[in-house]
Amino acid sequence: MSTVNTSMAEETAAPRANTLRSFNVSARFWVALVIVAGVILMSLAGFVYPTGPAEKVGSLYDPPGNGLLMGTDNFGHDVIAVLMAGTRTSLIIGLVAGIVATTIGVGVGLLAGYVGGWFEELLMGVTNVVLAIPAIVVLILISMSLPNSTIWSLAIVIGITSWPWTARAVRAQASSVATREHIDVARLSGVRLPGILLKDVLPYILSYAVMAFVLQVAGAILAEAALSMLGLGPSGVNSLGTQLHWALAFQAVASGAWWAFLPPTLVLTLVSFGFLLLQASLDEVFNPRLRRGKRKQMKQAAARREEEARLLAEQAVAPGAPAGPGAGGTHEHPERSEAGDPV
Amino acid sequence: MTAQQSHRFSISDGTTRRRFLATTGALGGAAALAACGGATGGGGGGDEGEELVGVGNNGEAGTGRSGDAADQLFIAGFQWSPPTNFNTFAGAPAWPASSNVAQYVYETLLRFDIVSGELLPGLAASYKVDGNESISLTLQDGITWHDGSEFTADDALYTFELGKIDPGLGVASFWTEVDEMTADGKTISIAINAERKNVGAVLAQLAQQFIVPKAVFEKVVEETGKNVASWETDEAIGTGPFTLELADQTQIILARNEDYWGEEFYGGLPKMSKIIHPIFKSNEDGNIKFQSGALDVMQQFVPQIWKMWESGKPVGTYLQEEPYYVPGSVPMFLMNATTPGLDDPKVRKALAYAVDYASIAETAMSGYSSQVLASLIIPDGAEDQWLDRDKAKADGWAYDAEKAESLLQEAGYAKGDDGIYAKDGQKLGPWKMITPQGWTDWNAALKIVSKNFQDIGVDASTNFPQQAQVTTAIQNGDFAMACWYVAGTNPATPWQRFSDVMSNVDMVELGQTAYRNYGRWENGEVNDLLEVAAAAPDDDSKKEALTALDELYRAEVPAFPLMYRPDEFFEFNASNWTNWPTEDNDYAPPMFRGAGNTWIFELKKIGE
Repeated sequence: MSTVNTSMAEETAAPRANTLRSFNVSARFWVALVIVAGVILMSLAGFVYPTGPAEKVGSLYDPPGNGLLMGTDNFGHDVIAVLMAGTRTSLIIGLVAGIVATTIGVGVGLLAGYVGGWFEELLMGVTNVVLAIPAIVVLILISMSLPNSTIWSLAIVIGITSWPWTARAVRAQASSVATREHIDVARLSGVRLPGILLKDVLPYILSYAVMAFVLQVAGAILAEAALSMLGLGPSGVNSLGTQLHWALAFQAVASGAWWAFLPPTLVLTLVSFGFLLLQASLDEVFNPRLRRGKRKQMKQAAARREEEARLLAEQAVAPGAPAGPGAGGTHEHPERSEAGDPV
Repeated sequence: MTAQQSHRFSISDGTTRRRFLATTGALGGAAALAACGGATGGGGGGDEGEELVGVGNNGEAGTGRSGDAADQLFIAGFQWSPPTNFNTFAGAPAWPASSNVAQYVYETLLRFDIVSGELLPGLAASYKVDGNESISLTLQDGITWHDGSEFTADDALYTFELGKIDPGLGVASFWTEVDEMTADGKTISIAINAERKNVGAVLAQLAQQFIVPKAVFEKVVEETGKNVASWETDEAIGTGPFTLELADQTQIILARNEDYWGEEFYGGLPKMSKIIHPIFKSNEDGNIKFQSGALDVMQQFVPQIWKMWESGKPVGTYLQEEPYYVPGSVPMFLMNATTPGLDDPKVRKALAYAVDYASIAETAMSGYSSQVLASLIIPDGAEDQWLDRDKAKADGWAYDAEKAESLLQEAGYAKGDDGIYAKDGQKLGPWKMITPQGWTDWNAALKIVSKNFQDIGVDASTNFPQQAQVTTAIQNGDFAMACWYVAGTNPATPWQRFSDVMSNVDMVELGQTAYRNYGRWENGEVNDLLEVAAAAPDDDSKKEALTALDELYRAEVPAFPLMYRPDEFFEFNASNWTNWPTEDNDYAPPMFRGAGNTWIFELKKIGE
């Protein structure tokens, strides 16, 4: 373990001028961030947009024009206003569902992976059973049996049907972390189970949990869209899915009313693309081995090391020289990269 | 009635059209013909200078199909799954055996015309109503079944008799209104139930019940042990102008019956050699085929159908202007009168004032609904003659949110901190408004109603469960608000609709199945008024009684109409056939069922 970390640390040990660069974020992180931030901004813009999403400004499928950038939907509402409100709802549902799914998934995974034994078998057995049932079927059945569907109930339903894969992945990592020495130290010093899980195991898989959360949010937004398109969406609220549902119900495609179904489709695509890209680029931030242009960086690092070695050699020749600045660096880095290091 | 002349005349405004609808064929004349743009033939079909009528609303007609398809009629909108059973008494029989859809294979004794309200001859050449005690029918001459055997009065009697043999059949309800049915040669006499005296309901049954061959169904009764509905068959032996030729996963094909008894009566055989009903997965599939001319006529909801003729397609509807379709049914907004808050007629009336009917008609119904009137009588077509329009306008409601709020305040309600009206701690809401998922125009209408209610301070939100769930909830009274159907225009309406909405006969408790008055609205006078109206001996007294019912309805508002819907959507594409029934060419009503079979004998093939 330590040998790997040390060598890794040496690869990335090149001194960096600014902190952002030391985070080593790639260009696609910025692209993802811009997309996600743009969508969030767009959803918030609904608060200042002059037309409300329930305000009738035209007739059935008025084409764009007449001060309406995207025309009207089947209710005669401004498509832009509905889109803004719908995106907001979809993001809220995604966020809440993501939190619920990640919490359950990480909780089950941590417990199973750390405790092990028959308890692990039991939890993973349940997880595998839930994983084997197609989530969308469960989602539809639960949504249909709900007496009244609100965005909160929908978010929770989506959350409690999408945690299993997070649980499985977290269990794998947790069971590996559980064998490390510092866990033994913690256990010997009398720390209770919740304490160990939260303070000694969770931090090592936190980066993974964050990425899983981002994926869960994107998945939940799509799940909401799928449910709402089937007409099982939240009642009385606009979401990207309900917008598509009404476009489908009023045959927007056949009537050529592209402005009714294209904007929500685009936003949905952007949201899921943005979140997936964000997840992939976060992966790079947390896991240096996956960093883009690694070969180039390694060459640069090697060149730097060579240069440092040459300097060191020169200093060593000079009498009474200090150990060199590079030593401090190699001590600091292992901790940081170890946290993100998949086991 | 059969070889009607085609009347063509110009319609200058909506009022004229309404009058015209009420008195089919009474107006009109050749003088107005020149002014009628819709009747001038355009497109490739009219190149010999001959004028085509009954073409697309843009005056266009197509050039006709080639080959065998030129003689065939393609129809859609009735069958959505592979046909499995052609037993007309089964739970869900395939088209056209499903009851009261089209007189192609099976026929009825009388045929109802939704525009004029008349009962036209069918298998019966004439009928006579004697006060409200009896009806006598005289059968047509020379009727034969598809297998060549002779049709007799016994077949008709046995068809209704099946309702006694198997009380689970729909036809059994005939016997609640009828005491006795006998035949003497070609004459059938029906003794109407002396207590109920409901002539309209009996006539409606006579116009809707397909007559089936006694020889076949006697065997069925024997084989199935009197459980006629359970019989499965892929044959349909009727008396109609078409025989069932083929039915598979993708289509149902009917072939012309060359020995049809009605050749003389209808002035010829049907113009098409075959009627083909392709089976589509969705409305959208059918609509695309229809637009391209691969379908000639269909019964499907097409949003913004005017876009089709505006883009040059020879697509037409019966009416040339909005609402394009003749209204024939009323989706009703039901309120549960046992719910605290909704038990107050003032609250119900306030809610009726709160709804933006124009918005619903314009968006949810795609403009296919005329202005809603505060009445249970449809202010158009066959029912218009029973309506006291002035009274309905004088003490009825219309969209007026301020008036709605002031009515609530008059009733003692005050707005709480949450913006919701309440009285003595009893809030108006939260209520759920239910209607089946997938009934898109109703779903959209309720969404608009929900917003209207929230705007005035009544808390109501939409909820769209599956159809079966909604049906049970509504019948058991397990709802606060709902959008649901009541009787569509038929020979028994508007009486039937008053009974559906208001009848206090056999009131059932909440939780038990009701078949009318789902809102459990209670009133001491209504039963007497209904009885008087049902037994009214002449038209004047009938109108008087119906007006009295309508006034009670407006005072109490047990439910209110949200919009009008056509009884059947009827839209045609004149790319192969012309002379479709339209308001300018009104020889037949825009129907498939009942009197709607008239047009299959009158269509004209393009290029002939």
